[in-house]
Amino acid sequence: MQSKLASTVLALAAAAALAAPGAASARDLMIVGFGGGFQDNARKHLFQAYEKATGVKVKDDVYNGEMAKVYSMVKAGDVTYDVIMVEAPELVRGCEDGIFEKMDFSVVKKEKFINGGTSLCGAGSVLWGVSLFYDQTKIKDGPTTYAQLWDVNRFPGKRSFRFTPKTTLEIALLADGVPAADVYKVLATPAGQQRAFAKLDKIKPHIVWWKSGAQPVQLVGSGEVAYAVGFTGRVVRANAEGGNKYPLLWKTLLYSVDYWAVVKGSPNAKEGFKMIDWITDSKPLLALAEDWAVSPANKEAAANPKIREKNPGMLSSHVDEGLFINTEFWVQHGEDLEAKFNAWAAK
Amino acid sequence: MNPQGRGLALFLRTFTAIVLVFLMAPIVVVFPLSFSSGELLTLPTPGYSLRWYDDFFSSSKWLLATRNSFVVGIATAILATTLGTLAALGIFLGRFRGKAFIVALMSTPMVVPVVVTAIAMYFAFSFVGLNNTLTGLVVAHTVLSVPYVLITVLATLQTFDRNLLKAAATLGAPPHVAFRRVLLPLIAPGVATGALFAFATSFDELVVAIFVAGPQQFTLPRQMYAGLREFLSPTIASAAVLLIVCSLALLAANEYFRARGKARTAAADPAEPN
Amino acid sequence: MAISRNNLLAAGLIAPLFVVVVASFIVPLLVTLYTAIGNPEVRQTLPLTTGALRDWNGEGLPPEAAFAAVIAELAQAQEGQAIGQLSRRLNFEQTGLRTLLLKTARAKETLAAPYRESLVALDTRWGDTELWQLLKRNTGTLTPLFLLRSLDLTLTPAGSVAQAPKEDAVFLPLFARTFVISFWVTVLCVVIGYPVAYTLSTLSQRAANIGMALVLVPFWTSILVRTTAWFILLQREGPVNALLRGLSIVDEPVTMIFTRFAVYVAMVHVLLPFVVLPLYSVMKGLDPVYLRAAASLGAPPWQRFLRVYLPMTMPGVAAGGLMVFMLSVGFYITPALVGGPNDQMVSYFIAFFTNQTINWGMAAALACLLLLMTGILVGVARLVVPGFRLGSVSP
Repeated sequence: MQSKLASTVLALAAAAALAAPGAASARDLMIVGFGGGFQDNARKHLFQAYEKATGVKVKDDVYNGEMAKVYSMVKAGDVTYDVIMVEAPELVRGCEDGIFEKMDFSVVKKEKFINGGTSLCGAGSVLWGVSLFYDQTKIKDGPTTYAQLWDVNRFPGKRSFRFTPKTTLEIALLADGVPAADVYKVLATPAGQQRAFAKLDKIKPHIVWWKSGAQPVQLVGSGEVAYAVGFTGRVVRANAEGGNKYPLLWKTLLYSVDYWAVVKGSPNAKEGFKMIDWITDSKPLLALAEDWAVSPANKEAAANPKIREKNPGMLSSHVDEGLFINTEFWVQHGEDLEAKFNAWAAK
Repeated sequence: MNPQGRGLALFLRTFTAIVLVFLMAPIVVVFPLSFSSGELLTLPTPGYSLRWYDDFFSSSKWLLATRNSFVVGIATAILATTLGTLAALGIFLGRFRGKAFIVALMSTPMVVPVVVTAIAMYFAFSFVGLNNTLTGLVVAHTVLSVPYVLITVLATLQTFDRNLLKAAATLGAPPHVAFRRVLLPLIAPGVATGALFAFATSFDELVVAIFVAGPQQFTLPRQMYAGLREFLSPTIASAAVLLIVCSLALLAANEYFRARGKARTAAADPAEPN
Repeated sequence: MAISRNNLLAAGLIAPLFVVVVASFIVPLLVTLYTAIGNPEVRQTLPLTTGALRDWNGEGLPPEAAFAAVIAELAQAQEGQAIGQLSRRLNFEQTGLRTLLLKTARAKETLAAPYRESLVALDTRWGDTELWQLLKRNTGTLTPLFLLRSLDLTLTPAGSVAQAPKEDAVFLPLFARTFVISFWVTVLCVVIGYPVAYTLSTLSQRAANIGMALVLVPFWTSILVRTTAWFILLQREGPVNALLRGLSIVDEPVTMIFTRFAVYVAMVHVLLPFVVLPLYSVMKGLDPVYLRAAASLGAPPWQRFLRVYLPMTMPGVAAGGLMVFMLSVGFYITPALVGGPNDQMVSYFIAFFTNQTINWGMAAALACLLLLMTGILVGVARLVVPGFRLGSVSP
């Protein structure tokens, strides 16, 4: 009660202080992604194209994948994000928590997605993956497998991994000789988790962690680290910008799908579903793929031969070589392993 | 002074000079970096240009952050100064026990680690819908900055001679006139200093903003923090320079009010421990 | 006794601030305390199950009603997108429970009376007394689990306190690290700040004013800006490395960013003024007559310093040092930006649990312990430095 009163008084004070315009009631559709080259190109081919086609004003923003903001938005009932791009485990967790609206598949056509491209609250956007890369103009004879990446005597220099247990623990087990098919079975056991951390301990002093997607290419480019496991999209772009210095080692690929979801309580939820349907159609996706090497979760677009030929870095061409990141595993163990991972890293 | 003493004095002065350089260097170095014409934050800079300021002033995000910072800072200053000054007057005028307790209670936000305050507000605000609002940020910053106002104004009041109020009453001035014509002018420098503190506290505050502010409420420090984690560009250096300039202006204003306050009442100054 | 008009006026003047501070500071702290010990998930999501377990004595298996209720309520929670909080809470209690709950919720249609048999057939864990004990324990309004985990303890299924498994026992070392970093930052600040304050206090007023300005400018510059400056300076390709290489002190760039070294440098930079300012004012206020008296009695300089000057300036040292220590213990931004994963302090984990894993119970429990530590420090400060208050130094 007092807070309500206080907030009224404060709102008046704030308004008086600088004639601040009130909260936009009929605001533009807000779509939020992870940024980077994908979003720069999606802005043109998906967001602005949608605006042009329908007349609905669209704005986009970037976030770092931290779900707390979305949770507090939903709890506060002041939802400023409408459509949001999320990784698979976060989608499933958020769906169970009531953070995302259930996907309206009467609007978003389910048939057009690849296998596993839809879930209760999400519709597949693009595939993403991480893989090992390094400057092959500097290092001629580098590691080609994760097992070799652990050989710091033969391959000196720092290694960079993403500062999350997801992908890092899988990589540790792969390096330790666990077959790809068994990685999640092993990682589900306490002994397997210890094994992964023990493996990471062996190269811990040689690891530089990265947190945002732009860093791996920066780190390798500046020579700060010799090897990095980074988002393939960013590496492909860096290669295209010049030199083709970082050929991707597709056998080290780990991949998953990013989804579009509508934030629970969004005043633009209906518009959001319509937009999701539009931006997951093959036509705008193909236009996007002209400029940016994406692997759409749209069946037709992914199979398009012209695109496949044009984008050799397209993930869908390499999924046979890589490990599919197990969503259900990370939904189940994510929180626990994140805490353990942070604790381990802090030691 | 003997040679040994002189040697010691020389050593101490050199040491002090080095420490002062250490204190100032990082602040000074940001200036040339912000005027760099290159993409990288390295010295010496390849050349000088205003491109990063241009980038700052043409980015809707930085502009929004600047606007938010001023809105929140000014609202906080008004609110904290009003509440803090009134309470200080109440504590000064009242004759009751437990004054020290009240001052201590109001000052606890200074003692509590700011992360604790931040998550406490984040949790509580989530029940009343104040997260992701400028109002929530103003409330939080007011609580954080009000102790400074309270202590500053109380310190000024300590030097105030109560007999002046009695004299005013004897001369037939009603209490509100006595307040406006006698008390207020004398404590004005203290109140102004308090307002400056409040604004500065809000303007520099980051931790609460990390938890309580949504993307639409990003303040300058919050936007800088996001930039540092995302991509290190010299725009951050130019934002830092703008913040430094603001801090210097506030410091100068504070010194001005302090000098005025000293001249009038020889007030105790909170920036200098007593 | 009637309240005097004067006091009525005073109360009216104090009331607005009092209300604001209580409503938006004291109440949130209480909410945090409740978040650390509150246990609403099971009761809220499974009210009927809670009721059915009330009369169960904790031996064998609970009555059929509990089995029926848990199936119905889990399915309902899943449908209403409310199962996440419950499953996360119970999964924190025991990894693996999340799958069990979701599996059960999804299987609702395939399960039929008698529910006890069909549930156990679905997953044998439902026939486990310990699971039901765990559930029953969490129908209570409060739980000690988060506070226990913050102290590297845990609860056994039977409900007694035990040591947490080794890989989970991270918080006591974390508190220890927080103290170690704070301790060294404090020592560095005092050791560096003392001679600086002394030297400034012996200079002519003009020179001292300039010197103090050089202390005050960084003091007024925001912590983030100063940390950012160090973040830039200490980069591998940054100005400090360029300087070191230019002076041929090193050949290869030195890794300084994301190290403990960077944390110490930046924290000392941020906190040094908090020692210099109170010390300067104490030293400035000293009556030189004592030192002269000591000198005229033939005391050598070092004795004059140790027996007269140091004791007289000790209040300043204690005030500044305690201040620095208290601020250090709560530091978050500076280590987060310039430190590596093993340079983070308690605050970092509070933020981590709040923002990343959304485990508010753990965040709140760590916050409560940090608050308790700070409270103890304030108590110590008041004992050591009479009249100590944090307001004695402000930005």
